[in-house]
Parts: sequence; C-alpha cells; structure tokens
Amino acid sequence: MAIRIQRVPSESLAGGVAARLVAIVLALVVAAIVFAFTGADLGKLGSHVLKSTFGSRFGLMDLGLIMTPLTLTGLAVMIALKVGAWNIGAEGQFCAGAFAATAVALFVPGPNVVVLPLMFVAGALGGMIWILIPTLARAYADVSELITTLLLNFVGVLLIYYVATGPWLDPSGVSFASTARLPHDVPSFWGDVHWGLPLAILLTIAVAAVLNFTRWGYEVRIAGSNPNAARYAAIPFRRHLIVVMLMSGAIAGLAGMLEAAGTAHRLQGGISNNFGYIGIMVAVLARGSAIGVIAGAALMAIILKSGISLQTQGVNISTVLAITGLILFFTALADELSHYRIVRTKEA
Amino acid sequence: MIDIRNLSRRRFLELGGAAGVSIGLSQAGLTGVARAAAPLPAVAEEDAVIAFGYVGPTSDEGWTWTHEQGRQAVAAAFPKAKSIFVENIPYSADASRTFRQFVEEGAHMVITNSNYGDFLYDVAKNAPETAFLHCDDRTMMDNLGVFYPSHWYPSYITGVAAGVMSKNNKLGYIASFPVPTSFTGSNAFLMGARSVKPDATLQVIVINSWFDPQASTQAARALIDNGADVLFGIMDEPGYLQVAEQRGAKAVMLNTDTRRFGPKAYVSSIMFDFRKFYVDQVRARLEGKWTPGQHLLPLADGTDRDAWGETVPTEAAKAADAAREKILGGWSPFEGEIKNSKGEVKVAAGQRMSEGDIYNWNWSIDGVSGL
Repeated sequence: MAIRIQRVPSESLAGGVAARLVAIVLALVVAAIVFAFTGADLGKLGSHVLKSTFGSRFGLMDLGLIMTPLTLTGLAVMIALKVGAWNIGAEGQFCAGAFAATAVALFVPGPNVVVLPLMFVAGALGGMIWILIPTLARAYADVSELITTLLLNFVGVLLIYYVATGPWLDPSGVSFASTARLPHDVPSFWGDVHWGLPLAILLTIAVAAVLNFTRWGYEVRIAGSNPNAARYAAIPFRRHLIVVMLMSGAIAGLAGMLEAAGTAHRLQGGISNNFGYIGIMVAVLARGSAIGVIAGAALMAIILKSGISLQTQGVNISTVLAITGLILFFTALADELSHYRIVRTKEA
Repeated sequence: MIDIRNLSRRRFLELGGAAGVSIGLSQAGLTGVARAAAPLPAVAEEDAVIAFGYVGPTSDEGWTWTHEQGRQAVAAAFPKAKSIFVENIPYSADASRTFRQFVEEGAHMVITNSNYGDFLYDVAKNAPETAFLHCDDRTMMDNLGVFYPSHWYPSYITGVAAGVMSKNNKLGYIASFPVPTSFTGSNAFLMGARSVKPDATLQVIVINSWFDPQASTQAARALIDNGADVLFGIMDEPGYLQVAEQRGAKAVMLNTDTRRFGPKAYVSSIMFDFRKFYVDQVRARLEGKWTPGQHLLPLADGTDRDAWGETVPTEAAKAADAAREKILGGWSPFEGEIKNSKGEVKVAAGQRMSEGDIYNWNWSIDGVSGL
C-alpha cells in the first residue's frame, strides 16, 4: 500500500465548504497569534467584534447595507466570468450607475413612483454604457477587456469627483464635495436597510436560474468554457459575449444606483468604497456559483464591518487589512487544496 | 469664538484667548443656527469615552498627526477617561458606520478632523446624548459644534515671504478638492505674495485627495515645469517638499515642521495645535457645561507659521513677520478691492471680509488659475 495525492477535477460540495471553514479558522488563528504577541486581549477583541456585527441592531443593519452593493458587484464579475470575460471594471460601472441615477434624481421632476423606476433604469443603463466600448473592443477586435474595463474605473471615479465638486455641487453649501441630498430614496424596510438588499439577492438567484436552467444559460456556459467548441457547435459566441458583458455592466451600475439612492443619499467621490474591486474578490470566492456570490458578499461584509469595530479598539487599519488578506489567502489555498485527495494505491 | 460680521478682529482675538467661548453665527454665512440647548449632563472621568475620527493615518506627520497630538493631550489631561480613534475614515457611507460604532461604544464626545457632512449628521441626529465636534463644518445642531483653525492668516504671512523669494513671480498650489479651505489657502497665499510682488500669479492643481503622495509629487513636478518656484498646498504629507528640494524650488508646508525632508527648500509651515482646544472642549463635556459652538482657532493660538527655514533670506522673514504683527494688532489683509479670477470686483474697496466670508470662500481671486 502506498499513499498518493491525486487531483480531482471538481471537489465535493461538502469538501469545498469544509476547506473554506478550515481556511477562515486558520486565518483567524494566525491573526490571533499575532495579536497575542502585541499583548491584545483576544477574548475582548473577539467578543467585541461579534457584538458589533451580529450582536447589535446597528451591526446587522450595517452588514445588510454593505452586502447589498457587494452582492451585485460580485454577481457582475461572476456572470462575466461565465462567458470567459474578466470584468475588472465593476468599480467604474458602479460609478457610472450612481452618476446616471443621480442625474435623474436631481434633474427629472416628478413623484417617487415615476422617478425611482427611472433611476433604476438609468443606473443599469449607465453601467451598461460604461462597459459598452470594452465589450465591443473585445468582441470585434479582441482587445483584452481586463485592461479596458480596469482603465475606465479611473475615468468613472474622476467623473464623479468632477460633478460632485463642480457642476452638481450641493448649492445649499451644507456639503462641499457632494451633490445635494437626492430627493428620491430607495425605501427602507428595516432601520436603514433598504429594499436593495432583497432585490440584489433575488436578482442573483434569478441570474443563477437562467444560467443553470435555460438553453441560453447553457450556451453561455459552453461559450465561456471553450469558445472554439462553442463556435463548432454553432453557438453564437460573440453574441453571448456581448449580451453577458452588457448585463454585467448593468448589474454593477445598479449597485451604484442603490448605493447612491439607498445608502449614501448623495453622490460623492468616495461613493464606491472600492465595492467594485471587492466584487472581484466576492466573485473569486464564489467560484461561479450564485449562492456563492451571496455567501461571499456576506463574508466580505462581515470582514469589512469587523474591520471598523476592530479599529475602534485600537487595532491599526493596516492590521485589519492584513487580516482580510490572510483570510483570502487561506481561502484561495484551501480552494486549490480541496481539489486533491489522498488515495491509497496497491504497490505494483 | 469666531467673529460675526461686525465683530472687530481685536475682539475676535480676545475671544480666541478663551477657547470654549462660542457665539451664534447665523448671520455670517454659516448655515446652522446655534441653539440655546441645555448642556449635556456631566460625565465622571472614569466612565468617559472620547472618540476621534480621523481622515488620514496618525502617522502622516500632517493633519491627522496634529489632531492625534490633541487626543494624546486629552488622554494626558484625563487619564481615567477612555479615548479611542479610527484612522483613514473615507468620505462615504463607511464614515456613518464608523461614527455609529463610536456611539454604540458609548462615546460621550466624538471629534472628527474632517467635514463628513450628512454622514455625521445622520448619526448625530439619532445620538442626542453624544456631543459631536465637526471640523471644517458650518452646520450646528443641539449636540454638534464646529471648529477650524484660521489658517488663512499664516497662509497670507508665508505668502509674503514667498513673494519676496520668488524669482519668476509664479507660485504653485496643490489643492485637495475645490472646497472653501483650498480657495481660502490659495487666495490668502497669493494675496500675501502680491503685497510685495503685485504681478505674482498662482497656478493650482487639484488632486482629489488630502493624502496621496504620488499624486502630490506629480502635481509638484508639473507646477515647477510650468515655472513655479515657490510651492504651497493643503496636503497631509511632505511629498511636494521633496520635489522642491530636488528641483531647487521652495515650499511652504502645512500642519507640522517637515524641514528634514527638504531643508533647503523649506520656507515655513502653517502649524496647527489643537491640544488646548480639545482639552477645553472635553473638560466642558465632562463637567456638564458643553454646548455646541462655532470655533475658529485664531492666529498665535492654535494656528501660526513655523520657524523660518534655513534658506529664507532675512528680508523675506522680516517682511512676513511685519505682516504677522500687523494682523495680531487687528489689521486684516482681506480687504477690498478684491477681484475674482474673471476680473469682477467681489469685495468693494474699503470693505473688509468677515471671518465667515473668508471661511466660506468659494471663488478664486484674480491671478489664481486652475481652481
């Protein structure tokens, strides 16, 4: 009998989940060891984090508010990956969506029932327009969408800085680097948590259903895994690529709309909070699963919220970022390792 | 402690000597109304939690560092009280989350070193038992007071030195955002320079950050390439001083003495000292005497110029210090006629801008470009 390590193409669900949990625990243990060396009171820090995330109404509300945009940006990156495209530009599309929705809110008069739906449409369209050029460049000229979507992030962020400190600056003078308070809000259903959260989750489930249970979804997945095979099977790769990338942009734009109209209530330069970039992490953690996107967004929300409460306990911001990095590092490692299993083979 | 339109500068300085005194300011272009709210109840020192929210890192040797000195002074003055702080709070919904976390942790007083607008108001509205001190703000609530150093005076004073030292008559300014504090700083600096070199001009580059060493360094290079030989800015780090040192230009800094990063280029710095103000405010809160006020820390009591750099000629230092003495004596450099960058007269001859007008300055004077 000999022991051999064998790679398996897809790990079991239980194995994957177990590997993740082990990874997160390991990362926390490593972080705890570092903290212990600095003389911190681990029990106190731990209970503080638990109390301020799950143990309080405000903590739970914050988790919901952070999860909303992350679910959508994660979903945006995830569906682009389905068709084999890396949408690194969720940040820019988020900004474009927030920008377009704000434009409607500020300049289209009318009652909530008319303007709010228009803001939704504008948010999605804004994100879609932001990814249009990278999409066409990829589809027709084979220009790497990785670079084009990334570069447009900077344009999107600067566009918001420009309008929020320039032409759309709050005329009342109350705020210096943001627009006036938006006259239309996404309604809240629990404290500050607005309907964007259930909407994001429903949209994620809907996208998962379409991808997994329709012919279109099947074709998209084939096109993403192997474009040549897809073309050979008469699957219109280019059409699917364009449609899915535009959908990806629209979803990220919607995230921006919800953040502006549901959470921040004003447009300002820092509105994206890096949610577009963190969405990439969410998608990577989700590994192509929509339920994974929801779980990944929840995990990132817990990490971000814990980061805020750890800082009030005197834990340095760099340390918080390092812990975030550790968790992702161990998770990535665990994901790879869960593809291996130990098998016993008989000696030949 | 801030003045009102018809308050003389001397009276203003007297008030400034007694930090903690506040005057309603609604007529000075500030949007809030100081209310006759009853003071928040006293707190025993051992129970007190004082929270500080910082826009940058405490290690920035700049704006946040100076506020951190204030926090440490509070900790030293009230050793039994608990003081907590969070660094790098962005201008986004994350700011609300942080401030709410402070309230959740039982903070009796929350002090921020940047204007967070609604992100703070939304929290303050729902936390009537917590006192808030909001930096660079104009809006007041029953539990929210505002404060800022009157940095325009040392900006003017160092501008005089810059005017004497500039050979090209071209100055450069690295701004964070096009907000009043950037307008005020750049305008005051150029007015100082123009008091000795009437043809001096000032080019501004906005980098959309208070702390971005890479962007401020690039901006400094661009300004020097365009002929600027004395730089000024509103940065929380000394990046542009190092560029000035390498390129043989001069630089006026902000917040702290950073001359070791560019001893030859260093002219002076706009220095801030929040220690006394913070200790007074916290004491008032603990004693149950705190009510929201609008505080501008005056020249020589919370804001001033730093000792002159080693390459500053005596004549430049003398001219600048003469202006400083005049200001301390009650004179204001911010008197008409002042034109905006389009050449329109905005302040008529003989008219004096109030502290509120200067604090809320939102247009560039003639000679400033790029803002």
